Amino acid sequence: MSPGYVDEIDVSLIRWMLSLTPAERLETLENFLDDLAEITDRNARRQISLDSSYTR
Amino acid sequence: MPGGRFLSILRTLAECRVEFIVVGGVAALLKGAPINTLDLDVVHSTSPENVARLLTALKELDAYYRFQPELRLRPDDSHLCSLGHQLLLTRFGPLDLLGAIGKGHIYSDLLRHTAEIEVGENLRCPVLDLETQIAIKEEVGGEKDLRVLPLLRQALAESRRAK
Repeated sequence: MSPGYVDEIDVSLIRWMLSLTPAERLETLENFLDDLAEITDRNARRQISLDSSYTR
Repeated sequence: MPGGRFLSILRTLAECRVEFIVVGGVAALLKGAPINTLDLDVVHSTSPENVARLLTALKELDAYYRFQPELRLRPDDSHLCSLGHQLLLTRFGPLDLLGAIGKGHIYSDLLRHTAEIEVGENLRCPVLDLETQIAIKEEVGGEKDLRVLPLLRQALAESRRAK
């Protein structure tokens, strides 16, 4: 197991989060959610377009 | 340095033609499981050709090990050819490169359990399916894995119901 883990917990990730300011932590979360929303929207739009092509 | 721009990491890997599979929390999220995560986990092919491409991508991402960030230690080909886990920090946020997951499942084993998802303009990535994520967590049976299993099983049941 990588030295970053302690009892299955990724301590390196916690330390990195702690190295950020509270505002940066929020920004990180917001960025992550923005990226996730972009993929979800993209695939939802694609699904709608596939569905409409079936009904034609 | 805030991160969380995992799409930029995926784009860099894809542009460098790295063979990889998205696994872990992001894969679960993309498959509809409401998991909390802030890092990107990928299993990469450990072939020498792929590791060379991966090293190019990591240079572009300015990736270094995050357990001692002050040392700015960078992975080399011997690390990336191994089945171990490389926990890195990039200019777009955390990236975990996994040579294998569970009890030794490598890129070539997992590829047939993936579906490509469109993650950006001209960007598609293989993402591990929920069934395999559940099977691997059941196989490992660690405390952390067992905690997340009910959520994954329910997400799988709901996604099957929605089809």
